[in-house]
Amino acid sequence: MANSNLPRRIIKETQRLLSEPAPGISASPSEENMRYFNVMILGPAQSPYEGGVFKLELFLPEEYPMAPPKVRFLTKIYHPNIDKLGRICLDILKDKWSPALQIRTVLLSIQALLSAPNPDDPLSENIAKHWKTNEAEAVETAKEWTRLYASGE
Amino acid sequence: MDSEDDMHDANDVESMDDDEGFYSDEMGMDYYGSDDDVDVDFGEDNEGIKRIEASRAENNFIILKESDIKQRQEEDITSVSTVLSISRAASSILLRYYNWSVSEVHEAWFADEDKVRKTFGLLKKPVIQLPSSRELTCGICFEAFHRGSIRSAACGHPFCCACWEGYIRTSISDGPGCLILRCPDPSCGAAVGQDMITMLVSDEDNRKYSQYLLRSYIEDNKKTKWCPAPGCEYAVNFVGDDENYDVSCLCSYGFCWNCTEEAHRPVDCSTVSKWIMKNSAESENMNWILANSKPCPKCKRPIEKNQGCMHMTCTPPCKFEFCWLCLGAWSDHGERTGGFYACNRYEAAKQEGVYDETERRREMAKNSLERYTHYYERWASNQLSRQKALADLHQMRTVHMEKLSDIQREPESQLKFITDAWQQIVECRRVLKWTYAYGYYLPEQEHAKRQFFEYLQGEAESGLERLHQCAEKELQQFLSADGPSKEFIDFHTKLAGLTGVTKNYFENLVSALENGLSDVDSQAACSGSSSKNGGSSKAKGGKGKGRAGGSSKNIDSAGMWTCEYCTYANSKQSTTCHMCHHQRR
Repeated sequence: MANSNLPRRIIKETQRLLSEPAPGISASPSEENMRYFNVMILGPAQSPYEGGVFKLELFLPEEYPMAPPKVRFLTKIYHPNIDKLGRICLDILKDKWSPALQIRTVLLSIQALLSAPNPDDPLSENIAKHWKTNEAEAVETAKEWTRLYASGE
Repeated sequence: MDSEDDMHDANDVESMDDDEGFYSDEMGMDYYGSDDDVDVDFGEDNEGIKRIEASRAENNFIILKESDIKQRQEEDITSVSTVLSISRAASSILLRYYNWSVSEVHEAWFADEDKVRKTFGLLKKPVIQLPSSRELTCGICFEAFHRGSIRSAACGHPFCCACWEGYIRTSISDGPGCLILRCPDPSCGAAVGQDMITMLVSDEDNRKYSQYLLRSYIEDNKKTKWCPAPGCEYAVNFVGDDENYDVSCLCSYGFCWNCTEEAHRPVDCSTVSKWIMKNSAESENMNWILANSKPCPKCKRPIEKNQGCMHMTCTPPCKFEFCWLCLGAWSDHGERTGGFYACNRYEAAKQEGVYDETERRREMAKNSLERYTHYYERWASNQLSRQKALADLHQMRTVHMEKLSDIQREPESQLKFITDAWQQIVECRRVLKWTYAYGYYLPEQEHAKRQFFEYLQGEAESGLERLHQCAEKELQQFLSADGPSKEFIDFHTKLAGLTGVTKNYFENLVSALENGLSDVDSQAACSGSSSKNGGSSKAKGGKGKGRAGGSSKNIDSAGMWTCEYCTYANSKQSTTCHMCHHQRR
């Protein structure tokens, strides 16, 4: 039902995501609902998340692409811009959204956020504080969490 | 000469004359009266506009209707567009960024045109080269379209009309941010102006966009504000200095330009905000205290009973022991009162109605909040009275004037004195209300000032009551009469006289209070502190209304004596001070 009347744009985006996936990112639509995507992002090299496989969900609301997709981490992650419910603080998912952006660009931005955490604009106050007061220790915790929760088993 | 008589003698010819002169140079009524002419004049000639602008400028402010706002906005846009040779849409974007200041736009533009263009996305030429094919792909829906169905901002990024419409509509429904809309391409900052928007969206969305643009003209401009009255759609352009912030809108709401609270002369903005803060804070405190505490029957301090029995012992030094229920001394309690812990004296008294609300209030009045309550109640009751008067004024205008005109066989224009009176009542209630906030903040230790203030306030109150009484009660007989009556002329004279005298008195009162009752300070001023209108000599030192100034010399030469206690200047015949009843020394 949800798949009838799927806009051409979404079909095209989906096709391209499947045929030419971005490095370290996979996104495939759910069979029941073509607006719901199961996403996996590999932890970027030289980041505390290296070696981890992070699961996310991505949903394209009715208004998409005029409204941004809704994205959430399903895997537990220790990151100052991601809270314990997996919600992500990223400008293009909110006020900086533009209909000329795509699923691909959003996921690449999230991947970049893993490489460059921004504790000055935190979503999780405690983690951000940890990051700012003792970065080395915070990075260790992030690595530990990656091992514990994102080892891909 | 007795100040009180002079104050209120409505038939006093001299005071009538004063008032006539006084009226003609006042703002307010006259200004509104000529408003219709203003609209007509606008279309006629520049001369007319200048004249009206000038006469309005004397009032410190100009009321703008929606049509006025549009006209001014159009003029500013035209001016920028002509001087900079850019489109009207681009001019409008620049003006919005520079808070609708034409001169600031000019300055920035001529200082560094390239920088301004870059910052605000006003591109000179496209940033991308489109393929020369007949079909182009929309950057949002990825569909291919014929060239003719593709639109772009100055940058050239191609989007189809439907996607543009969705993009703009989403932005408009998100709010006034649509006024700074840029190309959908995230790497591009090209501005999307009203010209494109008009082309691409529905009439409804265009209307909303225009409304945001109009609102921006008022809200982003430092010299204009919306009238804060609920439902009022006029704006005020303030052109005065910081001497007098009072403005009154065409909707009849008067407010302070500086703090946008309702008009509050003679008290200043900081006092008003203190008072309003206090009202909201105190009303909560007071309610809590009323609901949860009782004053100690001996020392009157409020006591909260949080647990335990009815046997209360007040904290030292009072240590009074009493019964929580009847508030009687504990020593009176015993078996005969129905037991120590179940006081039936209370139940009995309650049935007889001894512990009624007034009793409770009387007790409350003794506690520490008494002073504030005193001022607040009077402040609030004048507020209520003002609202009632406003309603009465409206009723008078819409119903009674016509009726009265029929009964008395006078044209309505001849009956203007009645609405004038009501308008004056409304204004006086407002002033009187704020004098209570003034009184609350007048330091307790300044006895002379306090006494003088309370005298002025008392006189103001009784003068206003007289006017209110006359306008409300005495008018009734003429409204219910069968035909014209001779007494109506007397009534006319009396009411018009009272209106004038009261107006005069309140004007002087406002000046005196704004002046901080400074005349009370100096010995020299003492002899002149009470001319015939009580506070009128203050007018000279105050905002320069400069009317009733001439009388102080007469008082000196008439050999008045000054009360040592309150500085009031009394006539030489009296042996006690007219104001504070202090003995003459």
